[in-house]
Amino acid sequence: MSIRILFSSLRRNSLMPSLVLLQVALACAILCNVLFLAWQQMEPMLAPSGVDGNDLILVDGLDAPDRAWTAAEVQAGTDALRTVPGVRAASAALGLPMVVSFVNMRAFRGPTGAAVGVNVYEGYDLLDTLGLQLVSGRNFLPGEYRDLNSEQGKGVPEPVIITQSLARQLFGDASPLGQVLHSPEETKGPGSVVVGVVRHLLRNRMNVATDGRADDTVLTPERVATSPWLAYAVRVDPAMREAALRGVRKAIESQFDSLLPVGSKPKAESYAARRDKVFKSRRATLELFAGVALTVVIVTVIGIMGLTGFWVQKRTRQIGIRRALGARRIDILRYFLAENALIVGIGVVLGMTLAYFGNAWLMRYYELPRLPWTWLPLGALLMLLLGQLAVLSPALRAARVPPVVATRSV
Amino acid sequence: MFGYYLDMAWRSLKRTPVLTGLMVLAIGLGIGASMTMLTVLHVMTDDPMPGRSAQLYTPHLDPLPLNHKQGGDSPDASANLTWPDAMALLQSHRATRQAAMAGGTLLVHPAQPGQQPFYVDGRYTTADFFTMFGVPFQRGGGWRATDDAASAHVVVLAASLARKLFGSADAVGRMVQLGDNDYRVLGVVDDWAPKPMFYADATAKHYSDADLFFLPLSVAVDKDLQLNGNQSSWSKEALGKHSGSMSWLQFWMQLDTSAQVSAYRQYLVDYSAQQKALGRFQRPPTNAKLYTLMGWLAHQNLVPNDVRLQLWLALGFLFVCMLNIVALLLAKFLRRGGEISVRRALGARQRDIFVQLGIESALIGMAGGALGVLIAQLGLWSIRQRPDDYAHLAQMDGAMLLGTLALAVVASVLAGLLPAWRACRVAPALQLKTM
Repeated sequence: MSIRILFSSLRRNSLMPSLVLLQVALACAILCNVLFLAWQQMEPMLAPSGVDGNDLILVDGLDAPDRAWTAAEVQAGTDALRTVPGVRAASAALGLPMVVSFVNMRAFRGPTGAAVGVNVYEGYDLLDTLGLQLVSGRNFLPGEYRDLNSEQGKGVPEPVIITQSLARQLFGDASPLGQVLHSPEETKGPGSVVVGVVRHLLRNRMNVATDGRADDTVLTPERVATSPWLAYAVRVDPAMREAALRGVRKAIESQFDSLLPVGSKPKAESYAARRDKVFKSRRATLELFAGVALTVVIVTVIGIMGLTGFWVQKRTRQIGIRRALGARRIDILRYFLAENALIVGIGVVLGMTLAYFGNAWLMRYYELPRLPWTWLPLGALLMLLLGQLAVLSPALRAARVPPVVATRSV
Repeated sequence: MFGYYLDMAWRSLKRTPVLTGLMVLAIGLGIGASMTMLTVLHVMTDDPMPGRSAQLYTPHLDPLPLNHKQGGDSPDASANLTWPDAMALLQSHRATRQAAMAGGTLLVHPAQPGQQPFYVDGRYTTADFFTMFGVPFQRGGGWRATDDAASAHVVVLAASLARKLFGSADAVGRMVQLGDNDYRVLGVVDDWAPKPMFYADATAKHYSDADLFFLPLSVAVDKDLQLNGNQSSWSKEALGKHSGSMSWLQFWMQLDTSAQVSAYRQYLVDYSAQQKALGRFQRPPTNAKLYTLMGWLAHQNLVPNDVRLQLWLALGFLFVCMLNIVALLLAKFLRRGGEISVRRALGARQRDIFVQLGIESALIGMAGGALGVLIAQLGLWSIRQRPDDYAHLAQMDGAMLLGTLALAVVASVLAGLLPAWRACRVAPALQLKTM
């Protein structure tokens, strides 16, 4: 059957199809934008953390605003944690995954010319305590660690461990090991030398953990000292998780309570609990977007079903005539499906344009990321499928119209 | 005639329960979603000081050096005032009332044995604060300007804190230890927290914070008490609360007449020019501004972007729903060509048919509005479960409730216009012939 017949039939009676078209266009525009926004929220949640989180406890809230923790105090804390039954390793750190109270930002420029803003995790032997997966190179050597905020290691390139994704961004396909990185502002000076690469390590500044930036994280060999902030990562025995958590809380309390300002509350929680809290707001937003998307879909399907149903009823006689003239049931079904695909097809083209310009318009007023064009066909495809689904029941009803209807005077 | 149309509409809707149900559901969903977001926006942009806000102003100076670069993420350094500027404005007494203020957090040591010390948020301010903002006192009163000048160790407590410290006993006259010092309680105010907390600086949670104590600003400066707002400085000279290059104070004043307002505007420019002549300011004196309360809130843009975005989404969704109803009503009305033709043949004018169909759409709108109110309540409930600081405010008041119903009826009548117009234009003769 030629598409011309479809068109001329639509032109003759254009009010109904144009309403469906308009509705599809709007729904498509909303759907594209909502799906994209939902994806933006989901990205950090889906990004692999690289951390073996099952047996990990994170401790923070050890903030001493009026003083700075000395190296000895930090070490005493680490030692106290290591003696807790069930604890396998403990590292003092500044910057840890899922600890958003302290975020350390730095920027590096690589040979590819790309400048990348990264989160830095400083601490002693974080590679093992966090359970990271080294893909090439090595862990820091014991002699490479320096006290934070000290003159140690000045003038020598600082060893760093980066992630695979960061290696790709900074060095392209070249091997990153042994390469020297500089900050974009300071191209002279010793810089940092890459000694190892880990598979994944999620950054702790979550709102930029999108668009492939989730893994922009760097480990540096630092012993926390002379710092008003402090956190610990603790790896525990899988068989003793609960007992170890209680023990860690007790150790932190006895070690730090007298040193902390009155009223401050250190937090020791499992990695999973931390993750849950960090993503709470995201989950709420995601639920909202899912709700919006679902209702838009439902309402659109209702609209298409209602209209097509009415249209089939109106053309019962026509269908009868076609059947009497030899059209098979499958022909009638196909006709209605094709008609719907045509209307929805035009609708989604309009809708994609609308989505694109709607996003551009919203971007002018709100800090929104640009809607990548790849999202447009996705929304369009979804609408086409929904359209076919919605029209199925009315089209089947049309296909069941017996040829004898044509001979009756209606 | 109206009753008759209503009866006909009811009969017609009852004939097609599924279609009617779908239309009511569609309009209910659209209205519910948009009213949820409109209500959130309404409570967030509401006037925090009804009756007073028109007289309240906040000045804005620009003491930053010419080469000062504003970091992308860091707060606007010129949003607050420095100590010397705030004191100069305060001592000029050019407004009916004026007060400088800053937020602080102090450790409260309860007098009763056994109670643990705990942190509370409050405000360091000057005497006019209470009268200017009309803070309601349960007992006692605020301090005087002489107390400010003498850095008197006096405090005003919020009722909830007073109850926590002293039980049901009268707190006025008692001593309370905040931080390292003891203060005499002068008054107890009702728990008072304008939403948004317009006088707090940008770091505050404007929709959930409340001040539990009020101390004279001069005491906070003398004792160098801890601040909890932004402290932005732009020079390497010795820092401190007295510094002329660190901004940390908010300033509010009451100006009653428009003459006073324009005089104050001029005064701010003159003051800036004078400071520029002295070499303290470097930027043009015309950068000095005077904001009204609502103007300041608009300038600060407290409503988060995602709330506005969600409102647009909801309105777009309402539009989709309306289109849906246009289509469904069109289908419904055009199917009744025969009935309409009979009425036309019996003498009904096109106008009568139009009104009749319009009433039918309005009836659907009423039902949809009722459903929309329920859905909006559900939506607001889900927003109250969210971790945002404005979440607890998401409640519908009477005006919004009526607005919901009105919006639903208006939307459905609008949606019914095109179908009703199309339906009332059917040619009766042609229809009757085929019946």
